[in-house]
Amino acid sequence: MVCGVDLSIEELERRMDDLRDRMRQAGADGDQALVRELSAQLRTEQRAWERALLKPPAPPEQRRRAAKRQAGLPERAKDLAGSQEGAASLVPLREQVHHALTLLTVPAAPRLITAVHTAFFGATIHSSRFTSLTRDEKRSFESSPYARPYYLCPALTADRLAPVRGLLSISTWPIVERLVGPLSPRVHFLTAAMRVAEAVDRTEQPRPEARRLLMRFAANIPGGADAGTPQGVVAAARAELVIHEDADRETREAAVDRTGTLTDVQRLFGVRLDVIEAEEDAG
Amino acid sequence: MTDGLDERLRRIRGDSPEKRHNARTISALTSNPGCNRRAIMDAAGIDKPTLAQHIGFPLPFGQSQFAIVRGNIFEAQVKADGCAELITLLREHLKLSLPEVSYEDLNEVGGNDDNRLRHRDTRTRLCRQEEPGTLFDHPMLTLTVAGRDVFLEPDLICFQIKGKYHIVEIKSFAVIDGQADGSKVAAAAIQSAVYVIALRNLLASRSIPADAVSDDVILVTPKDFSNRPVATFVDVRKQLTVLRRQLSRLTSIDALLSLVPERLSLDVARPAAAVVEDLRSIEARYMPECLNTCELARFCRHECRGTTRAMGRDVAEELGSVETVDTALQLARGTLPPAPEQVEATRMLRLAWSMRQESLGSAA
Repeated sequence: MVCGVDLSIEELERRMDDLRDRMRQAGADGDQALVRELSAQLRTEQRAWERALLKPPAPPEQRRRAAKRQAGLPERAKDLAGSQEGAASLVPLREQVHHALTLLTVPAAPRLITAVHTAFFGATIHSSRFTSLTRDEKRSFESSPYARPYYLCPALTADRLAPVRGLLSISTWPIVERLVGPLSPRVHFLTAAMRVAEAVDRTEQPRPEARRLLMRFAANIPGGADAGTPQGVVAAARAELVIHEDADRETREAAVDRTGTLTDVQRLFGVRLDVIEAEEDAG
Repeated sequence: MTDGLDERLRRIRGDSPEKRHNARTISALTSNPGCNRRAIMDAAGIDKPTLAQHIGFPLPFGQSQFAIVRGNIFEAQVKADGCAELITLLREHLKLSLPEVSYEDLNEVGGNDDNRLRHRDTRTRLCRQEEPGTLFDHPMLTLTVAGRDVFLEPDLICFQIKGKYHIVEIKSFAVIDGQADGSKVAAAAIQSAVYVIALRNLLASRSIPADAVSDDVILVTPKDFSNRPVATFVDVRKQLTVLRRQLSRLTSIDALLSLVPERLSLDVARPAAAVVEDLRSIEARYMPECLNTCELARFCRHECRGTTRAMGRDVAEELGSVETVDTALQLARGTLPPAPEQVEATRMLRLAWSMRQESLGSAA
C-alpha cells in the first residue's frame, strides 16, 4: 500500500529510536555483544527506512487521506511526510542544512545556507523553518545525548562562549572551527567564497543560481569581480584570507582552552549569560 | 530626577507602561520644539497611539508594514556575511585598509539582550585601547533627555584606523541618479546626529575627546532602482547644533509642568471627555508637519481647525497677527476694519482677494 509510506516511516523511526535507547543502555552496562547485535538490527532498520523514504509520492487522493491521518502525528514525522513534495526535497531539513554546511566548511547564516542549497542541491529551504531548528536539536540532545550522528548547533563567541545569533555549525566539527572571533565573519566569508567557487568549478554545468551566488561573493572580494573564472575568485579570496587568517586563528585557539570546563550541552549550544543583579549603570 | 517629579509624571501617564524615547522621537522634538503638549507627553512616556485611539482620533495607518520589511531586508542584505557589502563600500569611500575587517555584534552580551548590560559592553568595547575594532553592530548608547536616560541603538558604528568613529546609518529609501528625497535625508541626518551626540557622551565618560566622533555620518542607501547599496557622507554639524539646543531646553521638564494643572492626568483608563479636557489645558503648537511625526497630530489639527496656524508655517508667518481664517476672509473682503497690527496683513489679503476676483470673475 503506497499511502502506508508515512506510517511505516514513522513506525521504523520509532523502532530505530527504541534500538538506540537499548544500545545506549547496553553500552552503559558494558555489554559489547548486545551492542553489536543491536547495531546490526539498527542498520537493517535504517536501510528499510531509506527505502520507505525513497518510494514515489502517493497519488493526490491517497495523499489527502494521508494528510488527514497526519494531523495527529508528531512534528518530526510530519516533517518527513511533508518533505515528499518534489523529488529534491525528500531529504529532511537538518540533512539539507548539513549538506550546505559541509560544502561551506564554516559556520553560516540561514540566508547563506538556503542560497547554497538552492544553488548546488536544487531544493529550496524555507527560511521560516530555521526558527525552531536549533531549539529542536538542543531538546533532542538533552533528552538523549549523542543519539544522533551529528547535531546542528550555533557557532560560539570566542570571548564568552555564548551562542552566536543566526550562525549554524555542525557538532562534529572541531570546537576551534565553531568559535567566532571579531575577524571570523570575514574569514568565514572568504572561505565560503572559495568553497563555492571550487564547487562551481567541479560541476560540469552549474545552475544559474550557483553562478549568481559566486558572482555575489566575487563582487565583495578585492579583485574578485574582475577574476572572471572560479579559479580567479579562489585566488582573490585566498589573497585576502592570508591577511586575516593567522590573527583569527590565534583568537579562536586561545578560546579553545576555556571550553574544557563546559558541559556537553554547553559545548554544543553555548553558555548564556544571566544578569544576577540589575546594576544601576547608565553613565 | 526627584521623586516628586517622577510621581507627577507617573500620575500623568496612569497605569499604562512607560514608553521610552528613541532616536525617532528625539529627532521629532526638533521638528516642533515649541509644542509643550508633545514635550510633556514624551517626558511622561505616554503611549500616544493608544491615547489617540482613546479620545477618538485613531491613526488611520501606522508606519507601512512594507516599508518596515523593506528596511529590515535591506539592512540584513548590507550586513550579511560579516558586512561583506558594507566593507566593500567602506573600502571605496573611507579608504579602509584590507586588514580592517573586524566585526563585533553588540546585539547581545553572551546571549542576553538586557539594555544596561549591552550598554556596559558597548562602552568597554568602544573605549578599549588595545586592538580597537572596526565594525560595531547595533551598539547600545544612552542619552539623557528631559532628565531621563534613553537607550539608543544606531544601525552600525564604523571605526577608522585614524582613531575616528563614524556613525553608519542604513536606510532603505533610494538614491536615484544621485538624488534622494530631501525630507527623508533630513530625517536620517537628524537621527544620526542623535547618535553622534550619544556616542560623544559615551566616549567623554572615558575622557576621550569629542572630535573622536566624526561630524560626517555615512548614509547607506539602495542605488537607483536596484538593491545595490551606495554610501554617502552627510555633514550633520547643523543638526548637532539644533539638537544640542533642544536637549538643553528639555533638561528640565519642571518648568513646563508648572504651566499645567496639578491634577492633570492623561490616563487612558479615565473617560475620554475628561482626558480631552486635560489635554486641552496643555498648550500645543500644531503644524501640518506634525502629521508625519506625532500620533496625536489629528487631535491637535481638529482642535485648531479654522485658525491660520493649521495651514502651515508659511501662511501663519505671512498673516502674523491674524489668528483665524474667518478674520482673514473678513479682512480680505473689507467687512472688518483691521486693527493697527493687522494693517500690513490686510493689505496683502485685499490684494489677493482682488486678484482672485479678477481671475475668477463671478465664479469667485
